[in-house]
Amino acid sequence: MKDFEMRESGQDKKLRAKVGVYVCECGPNIAGKVDLDKILADLSELDDYQDVELVVKKYGFLCSGPGKEFLEEEIKSNGFTHLVVGACSPRDHDSTFMSICEKTDLNPYLYRIINIREHCTWVIDDKEKATEKAFSYIRGGIARVLRQSELFEKPLDINPDVLVIGGGISGMEAALSLSGEDRRVFLVEKTDRLGGVSIDLSGLLPGQGEVVKKKMESVTEDKNIRLFLNTRVETVIGFLGNFEIELVSKENAETTEIMAGAIVVATGSELFEPANSDNYSYSESDEVYTSISIEKMFSGEGEAKLRSGMKPSSVALIHCVGREEKNYCSGICCSYMMKLAGFFKNQSPDIQVTEFYRDLCLPQKDDQERYNEAEADGVTFIRIKDISTKGTDVSFEKMNGEKGEQSFDMVVLAPAMEPSADTEELADLLTVPLDESGFFQEVHKMTNPVGTSTDGVFIVGTAHGPKGVSDSMQFARASAGQILTRLIPGEKLIPEVKVTEILEAYCTGCGNCLDVCVYGAIYSDDSRGISVVNEAVCRGCGNCFGSCPSGALRTKHFTNTQLYREVDEALR
Amino acid sequence: MPQTGNILVIGAGIAGMKASLMLAGASNKVYLVEKLPIIGGKVIKNEESFPNLECSTCMVAPIQQDVLQNPNIETLTYSVVEKIEGSAGDFSVVIRKKARYVSLTDCIGCGMCYEPCPVSLKNEWEENLIDRKAIYVPCSGSLPNVPVIDSEHCLKLLGKEECNLCVESCAFEAINLDDSDEVMEIKVGAVILATGSATIDLSTLPNLGYGTLPGVYAPMEFERLFASNGPTLGEIVLRGSEKIPESIAVIHCAGRKEKKYCSAVCCMYSFKFARFLKHKIPSAHVFNIYSDICVPGKSYQSFYKSVDGADTEMLYTSSIEDVKVSENESGLKVAYPDAAGAMEELNVDMVILAAALVPGDDAAPLAEVAGVDLDSRGFIATVLDGSGSMETSRRGVFVAGTAEGPKDIQNSVIQAESAAGQVMGIVTSGVSGS
Amino acid sequence: MKEKAGVEFVPSIVGFLCNWCTYAAADLAGSSKLELPPSFSVIRVMCSSRIDHNLLLSTFFKGADGILVAGCHPGDCHYGEGNYYARRRFALLKKVMDTVNLDPDRLQLSWVSAAEGKRYAEVVGEFTEKIKELGPNPIKNSTRF
Repeated sequence: MKDFEMRESGQDKKLRAKVGVYVCECGPNIAGKVDLDKILADLSELDDYQDVELVVKKYGFLCSGPGKEFLEEEIKSNGFTHLVVGACSPRDHDSTFMSICEKTDLNPYLYRIINIREHCTWVIDDKEKATEKAFSYIRGGIARVLRQSELFEKPLDINPDVLVIGGGISGMEAALSLSGEDRRVFLVEKTDRLGGVSIDLSGLLPGQGEVVKKKMESVTEDKNIRLFLNTRVETVIGFLGNFEIELVSKENAETTEIMAGAIVVATGSELFEPANSDNYSYSESDEVYTSISIEKMFSGEGEAKLRSGMKPSSVALIHCVGREEKNYCSGICCSYMMKLAGFFKNQSPDIQVTEFYRDLCLPQKDDQERYNEAEADGVTFIRIKDISTKGTDVSFEKMNGEKGEQSFDMVVLAPAMEPSADTEELADLLTVPLDESGFFQEVHKMTNPVGTSTDGVFIVGTAHGPKGVSDSMQFARASAGQILTRLIPGEKLIPEVKVTEILEAYCTGCGNCLDVCVYGAIYSDDSRGISVVNEAVCRGCGNCFGSCPSGALRTKHFTNTQLYREVDEALR
Repeated sequence: MPQTGNILVIGAGIAGMKASLMLAGASNKVYLVEKLPIIGGKVIKNEESFPNLECSTCMVAPIQQDVLQNPNIETLTYSVVEKIEGSAGDFSVVIRKKARYVSLTDCIGCGMCYEPCPVSLKNEWEENLIDRKAIYVPCSGSLPNVPVIDSEHCLKLLGKEECNLCVESCAFEAINLDDSDEVMEIKVGAVILATGSATIDLSTLPNLGYGTLPGVYAPMEFERLFASNGPTLGEIVLRGSEKIPESIAVIHCAGRKEKKYCSAVCCMYSFKFARFLKHKIPSAHVFNIYSDICVPGKSYQSFYKSVDGADTEMLYTSSIEDVKVSENESGLKVAYPDAAGAMEELNVDMVILAAALVPGDDAAPLAEVAGVDLDSRGFIATVLDGSGSMETSRRGVFVAGTAEGPKDIQNSVIQAESAAGQVMGIVTSGVSGS
Repeated sequence: MKEKAGVEFVPSIVGFLCNWCTYAAADLAGSSKLELPPSFSVIRVMCSSRIDHNLLLSTFFKGADGILVAGCHPGDCHYGEGNYYARRRFALLKKVMDTVNLDPDRLQLSWVSAAEGKRYAEVVGEFTEKIKELGPNPIKNSTRF
């Protein structure tokens, strides 16, 4: 708190603070429900402090244009060290009054808005009681604001470059959406080629096969994308705007260090191994395939043939392989199985195609139409309660209890999409949690599906969860959108101001706080044997505070000292 | 430094708001136009949203506050776009700000003006389940919390009476009955259409009894019934009889055959309804009548499994389009063909229809104004180049959310951010391109 | 502390509300003009997980007759899992409250979402009634129990 001399002549007192207390009338909402003049008088006569001057005034509507100008002028002309505004909820106008402070010399964290409307005049009918309560809240607010400290924004320099892990369709789309003259993209791919799984797909929407090829060409030609094939990510440290990454070449074990502001995880997925389900046994026959093999055949040679070289005269397309075991539906198999049915019919108009499914999942735009066409084309759809295969012999039970057995030339299984094998290792590296299904966990399923709790790390494509090519590309673009709008070349990031700090003198280095922080904002400083908060990452929730046995944490702007001032007043 | 531009976003639901926030965050100036007097769209009509049944208000309120307080977003509620001319990078837009008759800057949302108003009519936002006045906000917790005067029902504005009761009740002089529409012209580099969707007119499905049998509910009606800030404050009481239902049938796929597409979200909200009902009325029997369960993605099936058995009995029908709802002495009778095709009957107190999502009534007029094509279902079409682009048939005009077709919140947000990302490409490069 | 004969006991209750859900619900209760007991004082924190045992016990020692901590429903915490930690910490504290001569019912943890203005008012009203029945805080201003 600043010392300053009171300027009034004749007075010799040394004051440690001069607090402006402004009560908003808010029309009848406050002025009509309390005895405002009594409150002002009582506040002016407060003798709680010998060395603090209070200036107490009321005003019509402080949030109005003239009101804001008035307040700004009052702060400047009075030279207040602190400001208390008795008005509505902070959710309404906290930012309004903070902005006014920012126009003056008064640090916006030495101001406080007291809710005497929503929490007082609007809920207490008795005028006397409402007056008492409003006075009490403001008095407590003054006590608290005097214990608040100046806090300052700490703008961070950021690196606008991006690391994209995975060179499949999602990774390529993210890279192309992000790269530019002022933003480089490092695209790291563990295999020796781009394209991932999408190369093998035989196309769904018009032009889709071409899209993949074009993306591969664009990536290779883009001078702002630095491509690392046959490369792994070895270590990652840092945070949004400032990651340090070590890459290792699988060919010659050479390491490369890069810096980036954001990381996009586009590491794809794998297919469920049908042998892990009790229902599908294929040692008995060579003609049992997973859908991806058939896709490869169609996209490669243009035909799907048996090992003998003949075209099959009958094929069973079995949906939902692994759905029960994984307890999720992969969402695209019904769609692509109908596509494959169409390809089979094209290649052999007389072929018998039977699709066995548990539910028809047709949420995409043209799915239902494609189903109607397939049915009209003579594809048989059988909804099953139960199914098992031995080689190409299919045994099934329909919904009405009827059991059936059929043999086919070829059986195609649509396995569930599951997290790729290196997901766990990568999650560890990036400190991103995994969800119950083993996929990377998004920070919020609905409002932020590409973000993770490690701010700056984004998940796209099937690394996030089962989805098709179009959705994967949209996820990629959504993550690009977030990065383009948050990491702007030349501009700094302003992290949360009301963060938590750890007092070295009290910290025993037990690490409880580290364990409870979902943002990974606390790290261990082994050289000093204590835990330290990275203020660039901290969100100020205070969960760490509740976990500390030593009282070493200080949640700025919500310290216990500050809260006790409010408690003391409440219990007066 | 990248060039920033002006962008028009039409529709302030979850997709419009997310797109606006993303673009505003990069210092673009966003004009967010919303036809209703409040922002938030459809999501705020749900008490809770699937899959984790999170409180929708808690989820959306911070987003709404961010939008309203963001200095780069100019939110124009109760407004419509009348013209979009020009081309990508350089559109000329005409917006009509409809007369609110209440000042957005002077009104502090105290609500003193509602009580004196002599006009009462059905509140369409609350699915006509409760009344409102001619001066009103659609619901408790509306943002912005400033009423409008319905000029089609206000006695003074219709010239029927010299009524000034609301004006007299306002201590802030915020009501001005001489207000008029304001037309503004702006220039923007890109447009995002995020105008949402509607539910199928269930009266076109006579076999399901909606509109004729009071115990048959449309899904949005049930959402409002269950909402803690809704017409019954969350109490489930039947229309007409005022009884608490003991048995409820949720019928899936209402309108699926007619519209020829699956609406993607209905199975999940049907399970959500079952969960709501079972927890609110533990003794109730809840049935879900279905033919196919559509629960795509890593998060949905587990919710379905948790509801199956515990909250609801799943009843398979071999033909969901042949389900019939009729009246009987005890209440409602639901007839459906079982797995073998034989007709089964179920007696229930209440039926909730999981209904097809369709383009809103204003979709076609908006498409004309925006100069974009619709797809075969009537939703706004995207250019189908296989890349999942959100651009429409008109360069520089994008679409996001259920305006493009039925989808859940997650995909609406993804499309919004994806479209915003594509827009960033236009405004920073200064030329149209994808 | 003995009650004066004939004077109704008005409990002093402190409510720690989380910024995102419960504070919003309290605001909604306000804009809905619901009646709330004046003896209930609202103190805002960012997350219910911020509340630690020291703060709660000190508040009781300072004389609070009851403390209500309210946060978001499980699964809805703005900071991910804060409210789960709050729940666990309070369960622990409640177990030892009677060792300091405090009825564990004087501390309540409630989940209130931002849309539940009415419920917030009910929770506060019911808690106030409960504390009235429990009577004044027996350990106010004492350092021994």
